[in-house]
Amino acid sequence: MARDKRSRWLASAPKLTLLGLALFAAVPGQADDDTLTVLSWGGAYERAQQAALFSPYTAATGTRIEVGQYDGGLEGLRRAMAEGEVPWDLIDMTRSEAMAACAEGMLEPLSPALLAPAPDGTPPEEDFLPDSFGRCAITHSIFATVVAYRPDAFPGKRPDSIADLFDQQRFPGPRALQRTPAVNLEWALLSYRVPHEELYGLLSTRRGLDLALARLDELEEIRWWEAGDAPPRLLAEGEVVMASGYNGRFFDAMVNRGAPIEILWDGQVQEHETWAIPRGAPHPEAARDFLRFATTTERLADLARHIPYGPARRSAAVLVTTHPDSGVDMRLHIPTHPLNAERALAKDEAWYARTLGRIHDYFRTWLARREAE
Amino acid sequence: MDTLPARPASGRGPLAVVRFLGLVLLGALVGAVAALAAVAFVSAVLVLNELLLISPRSRMMFDHPGLLLAATIAVPALGGLVVGQLHRTIPERRPHAPADVIAAVQTRRGRLPARAGGISALSALISLGTGASVGQYGPLVHLGATLGSLGARLLRLGRSDDNITIACGVAAAIATAFNAPLAGIVFAHEVVLRHYALRAFAPVAAAALVGYVIATSVLERGALFHVADTAVPRPWEFVAFLAIGGLGALVAGAYMHAILGVTRLAGTLPLAPPLRPVLAGALLGITALWVPDILGMGQETLRFATIAGAFGSAELLLVLMLKIAATGLCLGMGFSGGVFSPALVIGTLFGALCGSLVGQVSGAPQETFVFYAVCGMVAVTSPVIGAPLTSLLIVFELTGSYALTTAALASVTLASPIAAQLFGRSLFDIQLERRGLDLSAGRGRAVLRTTPVTEYLTDDCVTLHPRTPVAEAVTALCRARHGEGYLVDGRGRYLGCVGLADLEAAREAVTGPARVGEVATLARPVLQPDTSLWDAMAELQDVTGEALPVVDPAADDAFQGVVFESSIARAYLAHSDELRREEHGTG
Repeated sequence: MARDKRSRWLASAPKLTLLGLALFAAVPGQADDDTLTVLSWGGAYERAQQAALFSPYTAATGTRIEVGQYDGGLEGLRRAMAEGEVPWDLIDMTRSEAMAACAEGMLEPLSPALLAPAPDGTPPEEDFLPDSFGRCAITHSIFATVVAYRPDAFPGKRPDSIADLFDQQRFPGPRALQRTPAVNLEWALLSYRVPHEELYGLLSTRRGLDLALARLDELEEIRWWEAGDAPPRLLAEGEVVMASGYNGRFFDAMVNRGAPIEILWDGQVQEHETWAIPRGAPHPEAARDFLRFATTTERLADLARHIPYGPARRSAAVLVTTHPDSGVDMRLHIPTHPLNAERALAKDEAWYARTLGRIHDYFRTWLARREAE
Repeated sequence: MDTLPARPASGRGPLAVVRFLGLVLLGALVGAVAALAAVAFVSAVLVLNELLLISPRSRMMFDHPGLLLAATIAVPALGGLVVGQLHRTIPERRPHAPADVIAAVQTRRGRLPARAGGISALSALISLGTGASVGQYGPLVHLGATLGSLGARLLRLGRSDDNITIACGVAAAIATAFNAPLAGIVFAHEVVLRHYALRAFAPVAAAALVGYVIATSVLERGALFHVADTAVPRPWEFVAFLAIGGLGALVAGAYMHAILGVTRLAGTLPLAPPLRPVLAGALLGITALWVPDILGMGQETLRFATIAGAFGSAELLLVLMLKIAATGLCLGMGFSGGVFSPALVIGTLFGALCGSLVGQVSGAPQETFVFYAVCGMVAVTSPVIGAPLTSLLIVFELTGSYALTTAALASVTLASPIAAQLFGRSLFDIQLERRGLDLSAGRGRAVLRTTPVTEYLTDDCVTLHPRTPVAEAVTALCRARHGEGYLVDGRGRYLGCVGLADLEAAREAVTGPARVGEVATLARPVLQPDTSLWDAMAELQDVTGEALPVVDPAADDAFQGVVFESSIARAYLAHSDELRREEHGTG
């Protein structure tokens, strides 16, 4: 849910800084120690955070929380650094961007020692999912890119493997895919039944890329989407029978708008949402205190009741219950639930960070050729 | 039956049970250490491959084409330089390998040298890390065996137990590396021990089990190949699998002879041995600029070869030939590493080639393609390592597919015997034979062949100067209660053997010779210091007498003493008895 807005805002980084500065100016108690400024993604995601994290924190500590709008990218942070005025205490970032920001020295180092143990005493190192602790960022939730489909398009059978996305004989009909190489290449190569742990090694060869694109080429009709609200809409309108998209968006369409779609969890590509503290934050100690509060088992479980993102803690995942408004059992909708996560793929962010330009060129060349034919 | 002095019975009783359980425990311990070493080794190779731009992932992530090109040539060459220097510190000037393990166990010598083993593991790590086209399983097996032997030595155990702990290390290494405990157990028996004894089975099984448990909890890796559950080959395809087996034996032969041939040629190169791997590394890197599939162990190539359509037929043939050449070059010129991983790649490429040709001819859809790839794989690997059962079990344990194992069985049925007839039991056996250890007639002969007869040398004999009067000689022999005397001149040279009967006859005869040197000598074969027990036994077939003289031709035929025929026979029986105990004893 948070992700789709990002692309729109990526290009408007200067505006971001202004926004940040505006916030800086607009918050009268900035100098006070009882207000924290948090950058987050707005919309349903921020509403969920408000209910599960911000309000309970204010209630517990008396510290108020001001939320600024963040839409990804590092440009705003870079400017604030250059000007020596960092107005934010915490930023909710994707892990890949947090890694980049950390490498540029723009984030405070964070130690897992700062986190609370699970209610049963399990230390955070064992409780959090693997790779949750970066040098400067701590994963709190996990969202996924998944395939959703219209069950009524395939009477008597249902797709159960990511290879079915490419099986036009058993599951005929148009597909909607994101107009990026990411995720599509992974799924295409997975359809040859290669093991997950070898995937990026194989995609690093010309042969692997060719195989993946050959698989995509077999699809007769692809509707390429760019904005995250497109795939649920295309599915709901019956324009396509299968579509890739963000799990939060599909959940929203299914539960809040009653769209007749289902999610295929096999091959879901997971990405991490993290908390990070910028270097030069006005209240770094209070920010750490909030981070500890917001990543407790209880708070993470509550957050996942409001929005179907997987809690980064195993102890929180088992405490997730029903959606407060609709009463839907949220466990079945979060990417990290054991039933959903069995064949999940962790996106190799380091690989993408270094190869994105070349992979994009390669993908675009292929796309141009396909569209010319 | 036992004609030997009775030794303390070790077969029955509570003490023997405790001792046996101790051995099983030791096996598990050796297994744990060997498995952890294997895990560390495998991880270190992966890390090196990432850092040194060998793995496709790191090559893709490195965005400087010029530097990448330079690194592709420089990394293997520099790796070769380091490996060459390391091998200078090993007494044999070559890395130790599974063949040395087999030799140590088959001759019951045991006692694998720890230092040479450690250096060999290090040089293999560098070879694999810098992208040489060699395997990782051989070094793992040797490392496990060395650790097992070290354990036995630290506990001051006997040779039999030393052999068992070696086998434990081997089994654990295979069980860990392939995540296949049964294959580990069978490999240790099939390739290293070469006999089946309950006494060895339990410790080896314990070691393999511990290795497997460690592997599943530490190493995360995909199965070597995957099969769609629905595909079952049609009956006629089994004929194709058999044929792949027959042809695969020839591919295996070509592969083995590429390695042996380059090894031979390398000896004639006007290049110091430590510098040969540098040349090999540079050549490998230059070729890899066009065909990067030949770099390193070839994990990705192996995977693509099981996917229909990933390679064209001509491409399969090209990569197959280049991989054989690259592996021959690397191993023959002195890189350290195994022969199994490249054989896996070569075999799978060969199987894929057969599969795509069959597909073109029959026009059938290629859902059984992976069967061909796997058949080719076992057809090439099992002759190379001389282990058909292990190859089958690896397939079975990695896939859990009975259909695939049956297809592999069809292929192995022809591959192993054909290759054994044409080339030898395995590459290890061929290498050992070239070093003078012939294992083709089994352990019994190998043990006797490597036991020098001088172990039974005695100076309890009568030596006579040729000018000794006959009567004096008769008296000397009678006093010493010997029937034969040995003529040795003033400079210690052996001249012949005279019998008491002949001397007596000469003394009785009126006109007979007066000096010993004039008496006719007996026809008596002569042993040399390096004559083996086996050869001495063969000499005995045509002799009736007391003892055989040992003469050193290197020291001007110096007489060194004699070996009694009875000690040769006794030694022969003692060795046979030890083998019998080891192979048929229970505890």
